Amino acid sequence: MHFDFRLYCRAMLLRTAQSLSTGYFPGKCTHLPNGASTVTLLLFFLILLPCFFFSFSAFAGNKLTIYFYNPEININNFASLKKEFDTYLSAYGDYQLQPFSEREIFEKVAVSKNDGIFIISSWHYKKLKETTPIEPVLVAVSKNKSTCRKILSAKKNINNLTSLKNSNIASASSEDYTRNIIKQMLGDTSDGIVRSVKVLSVPKDIDALMSVGFGVAEAALTTENSFSKLAAINQKQYEMLKQLSVSEETLLPIVAVPKYLINECEQLLKVLEKMGMTPDGKNRLNMLGFEGWKVLSEQEKIILGK
Amino acid sequence: MITQALKIILMRKGMIYQCRIFYPILAVLISLLLQLPRSEPLFAETASGKVLILNSDMSVSNYALAHTGFKTKTAAISGEIDLGSKWVDESNVRKTIHNANPDVIYCIGSKAYLLAYEFAGNKNIVFSSIINWRRLPMGKNTYGVSVELLPSMQLTLYRYFFPEINKIGVVYSKDYNKEWLETVIKSAKDVGITIFKKSISKQEGVESALKDLLPKVDAIWLAPDPIVISKIESVGEMFKQCDSAGKPVFAYNEAFADLGATLIISADITTMGGQAAGIALDLLSEQKRDDKVQTPAGTNVILNLKQVEKYKIKLNEEALDSVNQIIK
Repeated sequence: MHFDFRLYCRAMLLRTAQSLSTGYFPGKCTHLPNGASTVTLLLFFLILLPCFFFSFSAFAGNKLTIYFYNPEININNFASLKKEFDTYLSAYGDYQLQPFSEREIFEKVAVSKNDGIFIISSWHYKKLKETTPIEPVLVAVSKNKSTCRKILSAKKNINNLTSLKNSNIASASSEDYTRNIIKQMLGDTSDGIVRSVKVLSVPKDIDALMSVGFGVAEAALTTENSFSKLAAINQKQYEMLKQLSVSEETLLPIVAVPKYLINECEQLLKVLEKMGMTPDGKNRLNMLGFEGWKVLSEQEKIILGK
Repeated sequence: MITQALKIILMRKGMIYQCRIFYPILAVLISLLLQLPRSEPLFAETASGKVLILNSDMSVSNYALAHTGFKTKTAAISGEIDLGSKWVDESNVRKTIHNANPDVIYCIGSKAYLLAYEFAGNKNIVFSSIINWRRLPMGKNTYGVSVELLPSMQLTLYRYFFPEINKIGVVYSKDYNKEWLETVIKSAKDVGITIFKKSISKQEGVESALKDLLPKVDAIWLAPDPIVISKIESVGEMFKQCDSAGKPVFAYNEAFADLGATLIISADITTMGGQAAGIALDLLSEQKRDDKVQTPAGTNVILNLKQVEKYKIKLNEEALDSVNQIIK
């Protein structure tokens, strides 16, 4: 006897829809092929269940994810960030953004999933490349520059870095990163001071700068760009601060791709590279603190390789 | 005591005199214990002492955020009490505080603070998440983080987001906000903003005050004034009036997002928890504190882009990295 599976499926789905709309549990039905009963109906869905799981996982496998983690900024707008990026990216393919606030979770989840690329700080890249085979491809650009410096600014009565012992330092970067930069600024003999300072984590650079003016912290670690922005916004607050130290120039966040996924991610990389060229894309990148991307130069790759 | 217990166990097993290994075993155990991983304190210079957290109601998301913010910055927590939304057996709370014998009590919300103030004796109290803390009794060992942002912080952010907004209108009542408004006017000058004010004595006066202000200003700053916001319906009317005039409203609480506020700037709760932890740790390490109550160091920003486009306000796109929530 000929059995049309497609017809059977359609009838089963129709019957389920009927039962859902009427509120009656379907009994034996004569219009189903071969006189299928409720038991058959349940069996049908039980057989289909693994197929659903299979299809979802297959779907997830095709979706490329941009994993984002940056200890240099305090991301606390996850929902908005994800929504904005996903909406933008969906016009170009099956892509999504997944931001992280914890380095350990990022490294555990993102690195193990093997289904996407990373937007990470150059500081983190240097650490991650030691354990994960990744290739740096793009670097962020802000005000036509791919690098930035951190500024440690303090109240005017703080004369030098050693006066910072036991003080509060406001920072929008992670505590780990903040201490690392301060250590770099102070030099090798700074251990005691670095250990003694208390890092006050704030959501943004401008909060860090203002908290010094309002007496909540004695110093602030911010980007050079944010420090100069304050001068334009609130001259009085700016004049209350003194630049104590400047970090070395570091690259802005980079896009890195797992080496075995370079071909699969080619299209996504092109989408990202062009993001800063459209107002919509630029607005989204502004949420991360920069305006666009550029392909890493050989010189920049050498810096990252060190 | 541990040595005795180990001796007894080994003696029962008949090992102690047979093998003469008691002291070598003990030495190995002690050295192993010393090697166990210890949790790294976030502040490298550890403070000795204990902190008890007293939360007014953990089911309130802002209280829960402050709680988490505090816990991520200190490891010296000896106990946590959630007073919850139901009736509280005060004698139980008193007993728990007495048994925990903390050096510092961190109180989240006014309910927690008032209980601690009553039962804590001479213990240090650190509070946060209390609206208008000045109305509460303060002891000599009371410290805290205010929930109200300084006007200067808000104005700096208004200037940062909207570089072309130069005139802002404020409706207020002299009974509640005379000093606040004086600070606002002074701070506004620092960022090149002029404040246009209109005082009212009854809520009914808001409509005519706005009628007078709206033609002169680029935006309205909704003040945290009990007369201005006494009825929710009238606040809705106020937003409608501003909308009809094509003027954005800047507010101080996310509750105004649904009414159409263009920019909402409030204190970041997690940061406040972190600040409170900093104060607690200073108290535990007996560091001298000049300030009793700190101003919030972090801001939470909600931006309604629909309204920005509707009112055709020039937005500093670079400021988007400072937005916590975008409404579209």
